[in-house]
Amino acid sequence: MATDAKIHPVVIYPFRQPGHYSDLEELYQLIARLDEDKDTYARPITVIDRKTHFAMEADKAFLDFRKNTVARHSDVLDAWCVDTCQMWCSGLGLAYEQGGPDDVYWLIPGDFNYGTAVGREVLGRLHDLPEICLELQQDLCIGEIATDHNNSKQLIDTYGTFALLYNWFPEEAQEIRQYTERPRSEFFAIRHSFLREVLRQRWYAYEQTVVMLLQAVFTNKHMSRFFVGNISDLPEGRESFSSALQQVERTERVLKSIWRERNQPKAGWTDQYRILETQSEQVRRTAMIILKNLLG
Amino acid sequence: MSAYGARRTLRGMNFICVAPQAQSVSLVGDFNKWNPAENPMKRMPDGAWLVMVELAHGHHRYAFLVDGNLTLDPRAQGVTRNDQGERVSLLPVS
Repeated sequence: MATDAKIHPVVIYPFRQPGHYSDLEELYQLIARLDEDKDTYARPITVIDRKTHFAMEADKAFLDFRKNTVARHSDVLDAWCVDTCQMWCSGLGLAYEQGGPDDVYWLIPGDFNYGTAVGREVLGRLHDLPEICLELQQDLCIGEIATDHNNSKQLIDTYGTFALLYNWFPEEAQEIRQYTERPRSEFFAIRHSFLREVLRQRWYAYEQTVVMLLQAVFTNKHMSRFFVGNISDLPEGRESFSSALQQVERTERVLKSIWRERNQPKAGWTDQYRILETQSEQVRRTAMIILKNLLG
Repeated sequence: MSAYGARRTLRGMNFICVAPQAQSVSLVGDFNKWNPAENPMKRMPDGAWLVMVELAHGHHRYAFLVDGNLTLDPRAQGVTRNDQGERVSLLPVS
């Protein structure tokens, strides 16, 4: 491991404040430990959407938690954000500006059930992601969460994300799937030089992990996947069909945009685009049918 | 390192490769410079192959060499590539 390299933890505070603080308290116990280990970690950053703050500004428990826990163990970045991916962009961007060429940036989503027994196990493994980047000189390390085949996220990725990837970027999709079954994972660590690359390109407002994975394959970056355990999103339970459909539509929009950006300079790109767009619509409709049957 | 990752100097790790039809299986990785002669695995009565290796704290890249073919460990905690660009398994040792 490079001796002067630092790991920059970036916590994405939940957009919707959970009713209890047990998960966040568990997470910030980890953040407190990271903050104490100044040889290894830079001062953690917590990104809080201003909408979250103003929705809770009359709530004493929230204000106390923010002041006594979040702000005590991390620098709070208050930002107006249109989506979680903009929170990522703001937080990782700030950390990048404070970092050096050997540093690694570690994204930690706040809206997971860290307070459960399994969640604690996951917290015990998350540190592996940035360490793998540092020790093995990896550009990107994706944290993968085990789910069963009927889990809604797994269904969305199988019938939506990967199906669309195979349409728009078939070779890259195969390469990505060699690493991960969760191309929309919110657990990852990224090296300084690769973060610089992705920050300076167009940052998409959604499905940014898919974008980073594609970019990593386009440019032959060193990637790893690491199993971080079993965990479910908060609130517990299956996602609705409409939410699943929205996620598939967003993935399609992102993939279309990336394809156009890469192929517009080529002559005759519009003909190929029309073919792919027609196929893409078929893929999306098929995903709709399957997700409707399973989640609707 | 984080308080969640305890350090030890060396830790014995068991590697198991289920390959009942194989004639020879070796463990290769960064820790033995990918040398198949370094850690040959022993065939067990159930057809699995076993070897114990002492490893230092950190993350190790490895694979099984099953009758000369580089093979991923299906029970590994991660996947990465070695210096030759081949997909290999990943093991954390804490």
